[in-house]
Amino acid sequence: MNQLAPAIIAALVISIMGGALSIFVVLKRLAFIGQGISHAAFGGVGIALILGVNGASTPGAIGQLSIVVAFSILAALWIAALSRSHKGRTDTAIGVVLSASMALGFVLFTIAESRHDHDDHGHAAHGHEDEHHIIEEILFGNILNTDWTKASIAIAVSIALLAITWLLRRKLIFWAFDEPVIDAYGHNSNRLTNIFLSTLAIAIVMSMQIAGVVLAAAMLVLPGAAALNITAKLKPAFISAILIATVGAALGMLIGFQADLPIGPAIVLTQSIVYLITLIIKTIAIRS
Amino acid sequence: MPPAEQPAVEIDHVSYTYPSAGIGTASTPAINDVHFSIPQHTKLGILGPNGGGKSTLIKLILGILKPTAGTIRVFGHTPAQARRKGLIGYLPQRIEADRDWPISVHQTIALIRSSRLKPWQKLSAQDHAAIDHAIKLVELTDLIDRPIGSLSGGQLQRVMIARAIAGNPKLLVLDEPTVGVDIAGQQRFGKLIDTLHKELDLTVVVVSHDMRAIAAVADRVACLSRTLHFHDTPEGLTPAVLAQVFAHDVAGVFGDIHIDAHLADDCDDPDHAHQHQHDCGCSSQSDQPNSSGGDA
Repeated sequence: MNQLAPAIIAALVISIMGGALSIFVVLKRLAFIGQGISHAAFGGVGIALILGVNGASTPGAIGQLSIVVAFSILAALWIAALSRSHKGRTDTAIGVVLSASMALGFVLFTIAESRHDHDDHGHAAHGHEDEHHIIEEILFGNILNTDWTKASIAIAVSIALLAITWLLRRKLIFWAFDEPVIDAYGHNSNRLTNIFLSTLAIAIVMSMQIAGVVLAAAMLVLPGAAALNITAKLKPAFISAILIATVGAALGMLIGFQADLPIGPAIVLTQSIVYLITLIIKTIAIRS
Repeated sequence: MPPAEQPAVEIDHVSYTYPSAGIGTASTPAINDVHFSIPQHTKLGILGPNGGGKSTLIKLILGILKPTAGTIRVFGHTPAQARRKGLIGYLPQRIEADRDWPISVHQTIALIRSSRLKPWQKLSAQDHAAIDHAIKLVELTDLIDRPIGSLSGGQLQRVMIARAIAGNPKLLVLDEPTVGVDIAGQQRFGKLIDTLHKELDLTVVVVSHDMRAIAAVADRVACLSRTLHFHDTPEGLTPAVLAQVFAHDVAGVFGDIHIDAHLADDCDDPDHAHQHQHDCGCSSQSDQPNSSGGDA
């Protein structure tokens, strides 16, 4: 079987999940929180590296993923807690968590790198190149690294996230639509916030495998934003977002593989172009 | 004498102090030793100045805040239980729902019931009947498929009222429902609430700093400024002003307004079809209504 198969299937499943969640992200205005979480994940990668957990082996890959997921969830919940205590100053909370995590990640990365230099003194130059390559992968993703193990994890986790979202869909819709009143109706807004932000954090870490720290959050925004440009109804919006995400990912991969471009950025760029097209359609529809 | 009906809300010597907001800020109680009960089927207005603890009292009744002292019962349950049982309908002061949402009037109103379903359940015939009845009562039947973004402010408020009553609550809590609404609008709102009150046998609590808003909705009034008995007159709310406003603007329209020092007062004689104007107790420490209204 084609060696790209696990990467392609994983990317498509992650995109379907990202498309579904992106409607909530856009409607609940969590795009910036998504950026905060994905950059915070960099801190998690730093911690995994300093602990000597690297993704080369299967247990290593699972270990690294678990550390990054845990760190991202903590960052997401920390953002939520900070926003609550600062009466909705979410931007400040994100600014703090994003910068602190990036700084932490870089410091840990540098320490891990210098350790590496000491360990393999003879191969220092080669080591540096490796490290830079790893950083680039973390920042922009490297889908070509995806073997069946990684793909299986990504697919299972994505399906689990889709299931959670489906099970809680009505409560999440009420929460995202009118959070200030849902407590009065017997729901728990803080709990729903924490559940959704944790779901989002895991989704972002999954997307990071495709698009890296810098671009992962885009995959959880663009499809929803594009879908909401062309429909004013909830159910069609979810369906369109999933379609746009999947088609965008497929086209992005096709172009990326054909033109030998980095796949993650190619997917995000394709989804961005789809977004632009929907924006034009919306503008024309409003004018006519 | 028939057995006394359980009150809709019992507030038993309740105080609430917010946690200190930061270094150097003292915590004074937002409400202090409030003690009263709201009989079922009444429409109570709670009038008070801004910062007088009205929103705090609402949050306590809804169970979003827990009293620092005292207890609250809503139809015999804790507020949290009452909420979960769907006994409370709530109209917030500001409608913060996002109007850009791709959601219709019907979907918005149905949320109150659909959000309580198990994931695999669908709305039952009973759910649909309650939703349709709510829509009919607030006269939104023609608009049910419209996206909420296309509604006027008044229409959106009716959607939110329909959402509140579609859950079949027994208590409807309205927080400053007619801020910035003109007198005619307030009176239309009052008529709507009156219809709902009769049709659905609701107990209504309306909270406002605006005497007209209270008068348009409520048939009895309590005054709240940290505590339910004023010991000093809050700024701008003198008994004379209160009496004047009620006498001039409201009396002719709403014949039966009881302005009571507190609800334990014996002012709920059904034969009181006339104006009832003791001085609200807002400056009174007495348990007896003053007889300035001429009917006592």
